[in-house]
Amino acid sequence: MINSNSDQVLFSVNDLQGGYGDIQILNGVTIKVPDQSIVTIVGPNGAGKSTILKAIYKIADVTSGSVTLNKNGVITNVLATKPHNLSSIGVGYVPQIENIFPALSIEENLEVGFVNFENNNLETIKDDIYQRYPDLKIKAKDRAGTLSGGQRQMLAMARALMSSPRILLLDEPSAGLAPALVDQLFEELVKINKSGVTILMVEQNARRALAISDYGYVLDMGKNRHEGAGASMVDDPEIVGIYLGKK
Amino acid sequence: MSDLIQYTFNGLVVGSIFAIAAVGISLLYSVLRLVNFAAGDFLTLGAFLTYFLSVTLELNFFFSIVVSMLAGMGISWFLELVLWRNLRRNKAGTLALFLVATGVALMLRPIIQFLFGTETRKFNIDILKTYDFLGARIAHTQLLVLIFASASILVIALFISKARIGKDMRAYANNPGLAAVSGINVDRVVLATWLISGALGSLAGVFQGLVQGQFNNSMGESLLLSFFAAVVLGTIGDAYGALVGGLLLGLFMELSQLSFFFGGVPSNYKPVVAFATLVLVLLFKPEGIFGYRGRKV
Repeated sequence: MINSNSDQVLFSVNDLQGGYGDIQILNGVTIKVPDQSIVTIVGPNGAGKSTILKAIYKIADVTSGSVTLNKNGVITNVLATKPHNLSSIGVGYVPQIENIFPALSIEENLEVGFVNFENNNLETIKDDIYQRYPDLKIKAKDRAGTLSGGQRQMLAMARALMSSPRILLLDEPSAGLAPALVDQLFEELVKINKSGVTILMVEQNARRALAISDYGYVLDMGKNRHEGAGASMVDDPEIVGIYLGKK
Repeated sequence: MSDLIQYTFNGLVVGSIFAIAAVGISLLYSVLRLVNFAAGDFLTLGAFLTYFLSVTLELNFFFSIVVSMLAGMGISWFLELVLWRNLRRNKAGTLALFLVATGVALMLRPIIQFLFGTETRKFNIDILKTYDFLGARIAHTQLLVLIFASASILVIALFISKARIGKDMRAYANNPGLAAVSGINVDRVVLATWLISGALGSLAGVFQGLVQGQFNNSMGESLLLSFFAAVVLGTIGDAYGALVGGLLLGLFMELSQLSFFFGGVPSNYKPVVAFATLVLVLLFKPEGIFGYRGRKV
């Protein structure tokens, strides 16, 4: 629907299995994220949606399967990359909770998100972010802990954007936001995507997320259950009945 | 009046040393959740090593200080590699880390004694030379320490607030989970923390040795309690707080000797003042002067 101008797969999760210690949560999940697209993973609680992202960042354990990043033909084994080096290969992550540094100023939150690679410049990127989020500029010197829920989410996203990611992994970005802010957030995600950043998100707010997505996956019991073009899934009676609930 | 000036000056000198030692302890706690019970012995080691280089080997004093700071960094890093890193990998808790740190302290003491003996030492600097300032007597060594310690505090504060690695350290201390997934190089943060605390330990040891005039191998451990009091006073885990807490505690310990304070605390009871401060802060303002209630310490 949006920007689906490329069929090249940028990021792929291949038959991923794993969980926490002896508790297996992922029983073979496969996700393909085309370059420049928005892909959303939905599913009931406990389906393993967030665990996929956590496994990539070594917070959850992987027992088998692989995750690869294909940047214009340069293929990286994501699971073999240290979590803190993922930013420098172009993968950004916004966890669901505790996704800012409350004791640091807003400006410092952005600065620690900056990764020095290729020839990007801290000041240029920071100016760019401030232009996009003027609210953050006004409060640049304030402690991030003083921000409201919506502003925190904005800062968390801005922090991830500081590393100029090719793909942004978002864990339940709308969780805990007031309804009015949820609209804003999804609009913002579309804007970020239009600026050339691929997005893979896990969302509880399935209907809204799928509506802006190019492609969607329904996960259940740690396995792929359904997949399809994002907007079409919202109208699929079976999926609506089982996973999205009535309007 | 001259008493007030005298004790204020003494307090600033002592406080600046506390500040330097306390900030190292505070950084280690905030980044690695390690209560470094061996911090005092790193002071002793720094002082003795500087003594050995500058007096026994007759090397330049400043050069000797730099070498012992490097040694402090090296030993700290060595312990990280063989000890702390593996303990963290095995998910050792704060208590386990604290007990191991105590063990390190108990091992360092006899090693220092074995290497440098038990005699009292003094640096090759005139400790009797004094200046007169508005009726107060200010020792040459005190003045030197105050100047260099203040400069060090300024450098540390700037480093923590402005340098990228300083910001990374504060970010990691504030939210280690997020730091690890947001591009902050955790290994570098840990390395920097150990190097800074090792260097500051040696530096504070030399300063303390200078101010005391003479020192023996129990110098550092006898100060450990005061350092912890300074850390708690300035909010546990807050690096700037430790700097301010150190200065305040030093001032408070010296000024408590003035007669208006219950007739003046005898100077050999100064550690009691530190301990009382520690207890009172924990009782009535456990979050320290820079903390806010509800904050996790």
